[in-house]
Amino acid sequence: MNQFDTIIDAELWDKSPWGMVAIDVDGKVSAVNSSFQQYTNISEQALLGMSEADFDYQLIRTNLIAQHRVKMTTGTLRAVHYLRYVNNMQDELKTAEKMSNIAELLREPLASIYGFAELLLTQHYDEQTRLDLTAILLQQTEVMSDLINKNLEARKD
Amino acid sequence: MKKILIVDDQPIIRKMIRLALNDDRFELEEAANADAAYEIIKRSPPDGMILDVMMPGLLNGYQLCERIKQDPILSYIHVVIVSACGQESDQEFGLSLGANSYFVKPFSPVALATYMKISLLGSAL
Repeated sequence: MNQFDTIIDAELWDKSPWGMVAIDVDGKVSAVNSSFQQYTNISEQALLGMSEADFDYQLIRTNLIAQHRVKMTTGTLRAVHYLRYVNNMQDELKTAEKMSNIAELLREPLASIYGFAELLLTQHYDEQTRLDLTAILLQQTEVMSDLINKNLEARKD
Repeated sequence: MKKILIVDDQPIIRKMIRLALNDDRFELEEAANADAAYEIIKRSPPDGMILDVMMPGLLNGYQLCERIKQDPILSYIHVVIVSACGQESDQEFGLSLGANSYFVKPFSPVALATYMKISLLGSAL
């Protein structure tokens, strides 16, 4: 716990009723407190080294929502996610937050699909470029479909 | 010739923006994250920058924008944030840091190109 000494009191980290996950300066999960493991049944070992994006996806899969994300770039930490266990996913606010996270994930491939489709429609490209861009459209559609399927599977869990 | 730096961790988005900005009057350069972009800016400041927000690395797009706009030598750089963070509060935050404009993904690359031409070249043509 030495890496948190200057930022988070070690006792708070260990005894807090809030699940907490630290993200290091490389954007990887660097520590998980015991409350988080207790709430989620996810071990620290399973999360250590995971990228922040994968961690966000893990939260969605497990129907959990980060209540607070304290962004920092002090010392060796980039961010600390405070997490509270959410039992009832019918809570409208929490559902809205979850949907917002999913929407942001979907916007990336959607941006490519929209953008390349518009360029194909409005610009004059040679045949090979048109084929290349059409292939990108198909590939990004698959990425988007995969994200939607994973999300639907997570809801069944 | 106006230099534009395209900063996004998704190569496919960089490719799309590069295609949209295909114009002899623009010199385009790319960076895959904000840290790499800052190194390029210190070495060779661009006239404009198209900047994603959520990227791996020490700096995110908001932080890079803030750093540039607070630097009297670099603050002239025309910064356009292009992000999947599309809530009104996200846009307000980006603009409050000094960004000149904020495009939410998905966005029209043609509209972005038109905006950059007007902003840097003074004409949409």
